Amino acid sequence: MIELNQVNKSYGKHQVLFDINLTIAKREKVVILGPSGSGKSTVLRCINGLETIQSGDIRYEGASVLGDKAMRKLRLEVGMVFQRFHLFPHRTALENVMEGPIWVKGMKKHEAKELATDLLAKVGLSGKEDSYPGKLSGGQQQRVAIARSLAMQPKAILFDEPTSALDPELVGEVLSVMKEVAAEGMSMVVVTHEIGFAREVADRIVFMDQGKVIETGTPDEILDRPQHVRTQSFLSRILK
Amino acid sequence: MKLDYSVIMPFMPVFLEGAWMTVKLSVLSLALGLVLGIIGGLCKTSAIWPLRAVANLYTWIFRGTPLLVQLFILYFGLPQLGITMGPFQAGVLGMALNTGAYVTEIVRSGLTAVDRGQSEAASALGMSRSVALFRVIGPQAIKVIIPPLVNQFIMTIKNSSMVSLVTITELFRTGESVIVSTFRSFEVYTVIAIMYLIMTSLLMIVAKQLEKGMSAHDRA
Ligand SMILES: Nc1ncnc2c1ncn2[C@@H]1O[C@H](COP(=O)(O)OP(=O)(O)OP(=O)(O)O)[C@@H](O)[C@H]1O
Ligand SMILES: [Mg+2]
Repeated sequence: MIELNQVNKSYGKHQVLFDINLTIAKREKVVILGPSGSGKSTVLRCINGLETIQSGDIRYEGASVLGDKAMRKLRLEVGMVFQRFHLFPHRTALENVMEGPIWVKGMKKHEAKELATDLLAKVGLSGKEDSYPGKLSGGQQQRVAIARSLAMQPKAILFDEPTSALDPELVGEVLSVMKEVAAEGMSMVVVTHEIGFAREVADRIVFMDQGKVIETGTPDEILDRPQHVRTQSFLSRILK
Repeated sequence: MKLDYSVIMPFMPVFLEGAWMTVKLSVLSLALGLVLGIIGGLCKTSAIWPLRAVANLYTWIFRGTPLLVQLFILYFGLPQLGITMGPFQAGVLGMALNTGAYVTEIVRSGLTAVDRGQSEAASALGMSRSVALFRVIGPQAIKVIIPPLVNQFIMTIKNSSMVSLVTITELFRTGESVIVSTFRSFEVYTVIAIMYLIMTSLLMIVAKQLEKGMSAHDRA
């Protein structure tokens, strides 16, 4: 469904991705692990065009998204959830979720409202419809952000460290919403340091270091029998 | 000579007429300047470099030269090239271009003050740049833009006294004509000062209300 072929990305002279190859199949859950600065966020941001790549190709459902038209289709069908939520601070939780359906898809306001109300209920935020993001906890904000993404009825969602900015006691509520979304068959690419989540949800784990994919495999393969020294030392560090 | 405001009271209609001209000049050039400034600010933050270049050239010239010189070029200079304007047109055009250059900078800094994550979130939702601007970036930028914008508008109202030098009889210039027949400089110019103060105060009151209305549902 999403395919990266030999992707290279640099910021000026500083190359941050080297020949990345990655395929995400329909309904597949891919977790990307790796130390800070290894290029995990950059991979996600290249997929939906928040960053431009220097060489290689990214394809979505067979078509290269380096063209504007294909990128527009990808952005309609592939959502993103950010580490720092990026909710619209001047709109209520409900309005945040309604914004995409109304202004991107042209959905009628009352339909969008119904959809947004249902989605907020699904992420456990009934009663918070009229709260502004600034009045919500981090965990609540991230759940609104997930609902905002779901409101576009995406085929895939990219998660960039969705729980890293949260207080430890709020991580669980966000992960359980993500597991629910996963169970419904959503394709997901998740950058996270939550090994428990990776083991439970991932079909495949990709380990990255210094802008390269070091190894790829099932959770058992990567977490229990890592082949590469860098994977081993990374895991021993975060499992400590 | 003792102060005596009663001498100039009969000239009130003259002052008011001048004040009305100042209001017309200011309102027109503020409106045009605002439009120019919004376009300019959007150009400055555009991804298209020729638009940025044009906007940069514009603000460079109009912020870097005195308003008075700009007015004189428009009114006294352009006729030499065969372009003639009435004093009112030249006055409004000069003030609008000048105000627009400052508003361009204000709009630009307002737009860039909005967290980059906001436009990224909008893009990730599939919003086009224009939808993102109207729904996401603009509403947040306005809060940053309004205070300096009000300052700029006050400057423009005060600067309108300069168009008296391209022969428009606005508030400041009415003073001269009243002094000629009364020799009451102090009284005349204090009355004029108070009239400017009334105009700028009205603007500040409107701005306060606007700001209050907008911060009603601010982030915590
Ligand atoms: N806008 C930018 N300009 C220049 N360099 C950047 C930019 N964004 C990221 N980088 C660099 O690119 C490299 C990869 O960054 P990236 O954010 O993708 O890493 P990451 O694996 O997501 O790390 P983290 O776990 O800290 O989020 C880093 O060396 C970073 O310094
Ligand atoms: Mg990152």
